[in-house]
Amino acid sequence: MGRTKKRLASVVGLLVAAVFAFPIYWMVTTALKPANQLLSDDYDLVPLGVTFQHFIDGVSKKGFLNSLENSLIVALVAVAFALVAGLLAAVPLARLKFRGRKGFLLLVLVAQMAPFEALLIPMFLMIRSFDLLNVLPGLILVYFAAALPFTAWTLRGFVKGIPVDLEEAAMVDGCGRWAAFRRVTLPLLGPGLVATSVFSFVTAWNEFLYALTFLQDTSNVTLPVWLSSFVSVFGVDWGGAMAASTVFTVPVLIFFLVVQRNLVSGVTAGAVKG
Amino acid sequence: MSVTTKAAVPAGTTPPAPRSTVSDGESGIGTFVRRLFSQRALPYLLLLPATATILVMLGWPVVSVVLTSFRKLDLGELFQGKIVWNGLDNYRVILTDPQFWQITLRTVLFTAACVICTVGGGLLVALLMKHVHGWVRVVLQLALVLAWAMPILAATTVFQWMFDQNYGILNKTLVELGFTGFHHYSWFQTGLSTMTVIVILITWQGIPFVAFTLYAGVLGVPADLYEAAGLDGASNWQTFRSVTWTALRPLVNVVTFLSLLWDFKVFTQVWAIRQGGPDGGSQTLPTLQYLKGIATSHFGAAAAVSVIMILALVVLTAQNLRLMLRTEEVD
Repeated sequence: MGRTKKRLASVVGLLVAAVFAFPIYWMVTTALKPANQLLSDDYDLVPLGVTFQHFIDGVSKKGFLNSLENSLIVALVAVAFALVAGLLAAVPLARLKFRGRKGFLLLVLVAQMAPFEALLIPMFLMIRSFDLLNVLPGLILVYFAAALPFTAWTLRGFVKGIPVDLEEAAMVDGCGRWAAFRRVTLPLLGPGLVATSVFSFVTAWNEFLYALTFLQDTSNVTLPVWLSSFVSVFGVDWGGAMAASTVFTVPVLIFFLVVQRNLVSGVTAGAVKG
Repeated sequence: MSVTTKAAVPAGTTPPAPRSTVSDGESGIGTFVRRLFSQRALPYLLLLPATATILVMLGWPVVSVVLTSFRKLDLGELFQGKIVWNGLDNYRVILTDPQFWQITLRTVLFTAACVICTVGGGLLVALLMKHVHGWVRVVLQLALVLAWAMPILAATTVFQWMFDQNYGILNKTLVELGFTGFHHYSWFQTGLSTMTVIVILITWQGIPFVAFTLYAGVLGVPADLYEAAGLDGASNWQTFRSVTWTALRPLVNVVTFLSLLWDFKVFTQVWAIRQGGPDGGSQTLPTLQYLKGIATSHFGAAAAVSVIMILALVVLTAQNLRLMLRTEEVD
């Protein structure tokens, strides 16, 4: 590979990087720009002044804090449930031999492919019959069920990756089965648990269709639904919309940077191989 | 595996013996619990929560959506709790509606456009990553992670602002470059241009995953293969075809399949941008299902749309499921 070629590729690479980073740059700078600069015909790629007014306005807008809180509760609780139930299922599927193991594996696999978007109508009817429309538990239940197969399958992969000899050695040293698992395997599972829960969290944090359908009372929505109505109702307040989007993005960004190393392996492990 | 169980049984039964003399009163429940957790029941007990959830929250809805699609279920029947079967009526109405076929065709073309742009773009970015300077690669990967991490609705909102008719940066840039026709040009006036914006948005969000996956594949190609190709005097294009592409093809298949699944079901971006408008011009099957079911309360008809979507997805999924089962059999 010639030197000029490498230089050319690097220039193209930087341009591509700019294209991918631009919407985020634009979101943050718009949120910081003074209001009069937003609605002008001037060509301004750089903010001429910095104001935090949009953040103050956006955050104090009706419903924002409430929807932020709803989003956090729904995503965190659903992920916690999925993690517990998923881990309970992952351990026997990875470690124990029992009748019907293959059947359970198949169930989890098939469930993981379930097209949740296409189950909107029966889910709506079911949640309605449970009397859980308009309250958070209905949404939590759906996000939990949606995250569970992925969680169980991915954690199973992580459990399998830990040599069973380690647990056996601990049992030879006098640990019971449960103690051996808790003291040896569980700590080694840490990174897997973190990666899995981040993926489930991001999915729940992003979810829009079910949130839009289940929480029909406009005062009780999650952040994506609030943001979408914010834009259509106050279409002109782009500063506020960008400030709210920035706040919406920050938690996910932090999570992504934390598990960055496991990103691809996590997704492909769950979706493709055992 | 069986060694573990054998080793565990004596280890599990010997220590409790002295303990039971200490707390004699609880021994009945204690033994019961111990038996429950140390015997063959253990795996089933551990699997119970997950299995119950999957069957209730996924199994039943699949059955229910099929049943509902054969019912007349509008707001009246819903509130009275009446069950009115109407056979194939929902399907007949939907399948004879020319608009449905238009929406289906649009969904297929939209999915194809998203998949081709995402996988093609991701492949190019992955190859690019291999050829740039080290620090450029870091910058590029950081930008990709940023784009990937942005919540879907935040990204959708930002794109709406960038494509804004009056103050959007895109129109301003185009005018600056001399394309004065874009002064106050509305990107959301026709269905086609609205769909184009959505495809660009989805491609921008989808490329990072594809690029990282394929880049991992690029790194896995042994260097001596390239050396051998060089010695044989292969051109760049020949080297790409016989070495890189051969190594990447299985991965390309996987990301193509995943993109296909994801893009076929897209609701968020389509709905948030113009709710299927203007005049239904950006309506796809997922938004049709939402409009028919939730917005206008024709649950039976909407369920029929769902069943059609599921059938399409099953056809897409079956191949991959077989592949995964084969992997499972191997290990």
